[in-house]
Amino acid sequence: MSHSSQTAAAPVKMGLPISNGKLALWLFLGTEIMFFTALIGTYIVLYFGSPGWPSDPEVTHIKIWAGGLNTFVLLTSSYFVVVAHESMAMGAKAQSGQDDDRARVMYRRAWNYLALTFLCASVFLGIKAVEYYGKFEHGILPGRIPETDLQAVRMLREDWNRSLDADLNRLVPGTDALHVKQASLLNEVDTAQEPRKSELKNWAELNLAFSKYREDVSANKVSLAQAEHRLQELQGKPELAPLLQNVHLRHPITYGNLFASTYFLMTGFHAIHVIVGMILFAIVLLQGRRLEQRWANFVENSGLYWHFVDLVWIFLFPLLYIIPGNI
Amino acid sequence: MVHHPGEEHVDSHPQVGYFSIFLALCGCTALSVALDIVHFTPRLLVFLVLAVAVAKALFVMVYFMHLKFEGQWKFVILTPTTILAMGLIIALVPDLSMHYYTPDSPQIRTAQTAGLNLPASPAEEQAAPGKSGHSAD
Repeated sequence: MSHSSQTAAAPVKMGLPISNGKLALWLFLGTEIMFFTALIGTYIVLYFGSPGWPSDPEVTHIKIWAGGLNTFVLLTSSYFVVVAHESMAMGAKAQSGQDDDRARVMYRRAWNYLALTFLCASVFLGIKAVEYYGKFEHGILPGRIPETDLQAVRMLREDWNRSLDADLNRLVPGTDALHVKQASLLNEVDTAQEPRKSELKNWAELNLAFSKYREDVSANKVSLAQAEHRLQELQGKPELAPLLQNVHLRHPITYGNLFASTYFLMTGFHAIHVIVGMILFAIVLLQGRRLEQRWANFVENSGLYWHFVDLVWIFLFPLLYIIPGNI
Repeated sequence: MVHHPGEEHVDSHPQVGYFSIFLALCGCTALSVALDIVHFTPRLLVFLVLAVAVAKALFVMVYFMHLKFEGQWKFVILTPTTILAMGLIIALVPDLSMHYYTPDSPQIRTAQTAGLNLPASPAEEQAAPGKSGHSAD
């Protein structure tokens, strides 16, 4: 074979000495760095530019143990994925050296480590879900937090109204308008049999209290303390308490909505990246015993992506969990 | 620069003690949590916590992402991004340090009147009817 034919058989390529996939992934990670820098930078500006930004963990329901545990879980997953990549490389080397048995063992080991990585990612999302549930439970949601006393008083009115409407629809089923249902319910109070009579009576009593509250709020005559007192008084009555179980007075949190927006935006986008990483690992895991040399680049690139997800969390952890509670 | 396309995956970097790096990362995380318990001045705490975060990030980038063993191409790709990312933060600094505007928002006014424990005045309500609260005037 001549030299020229050898050259023709092995074409060369100008460019960086890395695979196209790896180059593409690094360029993608470059855009990701900008993306998260913008989110984190905006958060920092809003935080330090807003006097009274909520930082008390009792108010924000930020649990440092959850953040710390998630950091540990992600670091563990990063370790597993880098060892999986190493195993893939060793498998590829053994396969090149015709040592198929060792190659099979290495690929199996890589699969196991990737499975552990996938498990860690699931645990991370589970802990995140627990944190999110706590936020939902305490109403720490964008647009759902009163920031002034007046807003708190008015949000109680809205919640109370919604709860009464729901109970009205339950007590008087059908497609009639609510005011028609209300008139029908009030007409039925005297003629109904027990236990329905008591139910209708309780609703009517609560509706009366609500009408007074609504009137007073419209006249701007209710302070936060008065609203709380009225609600507690009604909740103290055993017959009315069940009808008020979904009615809560939310205490004002200055800049609470901005806090919730930035918190969910940053952690939510990070969680989406975790899910994308899990999909990448799932694609490899689905290969099972067919995992071999040609997947090595894919595992390496997935691993690089996963390390980036870990990097983002490394900065989110102090910024969201440690610094706010201490300054 | 020339290389052969379709070449097999070659892991050319030397052996790394990944478990040692992992332990160092866990140690850094424990240190971060410890900083939350120990009382420092706010500035010192922010500095220390972010320094630990940068150290962790460097461990991950240098060893787990193998940047230590990659060629010069890493600078070609990462330098522009790093400059732009730092530029973005620097561009935001005036909003942090130079209060060239008068901060006036419902939240600040509420904080100012918090001691009086009064509901917001109708005038305030007229100024921002139906707003959920966080928009600045």
